[in-house]
Amino acid sequence: MKGKKEIIVSIVVVAGVLLTLFFYLMSAGEIEINQIVLVGIALILVGLAMYIIWDRIRNVQKGLPGKDERTITLSHKAGYYGFMAAIWSAVFSPMIINPLFGYEPDGGDVAAIVVLVSAFVFVVSYLYLYRKGK
Amino acid sequence: MKTRIKELRARYNLTQEDLARKVGVRRETILFIEKGNYNPSLQLAHDIAQALSTTIDELFLFDVK
Repeated sequence: MKGKKEIIVSIVVVAGVLLTLFFYLMSAGEIEINQIVLVGIALILVGLAMYIIWDRIRNVQKGLPGKDERTITLSHKAGYYGFMAAIWSAVFSPMIINPLFGYEPDGGDVAAIVVLVSAFVFVVSYLYLYRKGK
Repeated sequence: MKTRIKELRARYNLTQEDLARKVGVRRETILFIEKGNYNPSLQLAHDIAQALSTTIDELFLFDVK
């Protein structure tokens, strides 16, 4: 039952993210290349999150737990990598963006980069560790 | 770490999914334990040993240093 609740909450969150992206794109007007990149990363993250949810649903349907001690350990490890990525991206993104794109990123840009990079690192490392076993 | 889970599963005619259901984990977790890619917690090792009517000592082959 607990597993089912978590799956339902995850589906609601994914639907919320998709709706937010949809409204953002509808109200954005002219879309710049950096916005396309950020929205693209967000869509990739949504796709990967949907894969993890689908995998949990498949297990629950078979009568197996959606998550167990191994996947919980993987989440902790991936969370650590995501946290490290958040710190490093906060430090280095202003240094990299300025020479590459020729503009000083404001706080909002850096916040968006930190959120997306840490989420991306979390999901990718989770899936890598998931395939590897530990 | 090597294990005898596969051998004992075959003896009791259990699939990975059957064993996973008995001990309350995902099938992949049993697979990775069998392959030696994941070291289970002491509780899970105990549950698997009980499900296969054996002991942890007989189920897991530890490297003696």
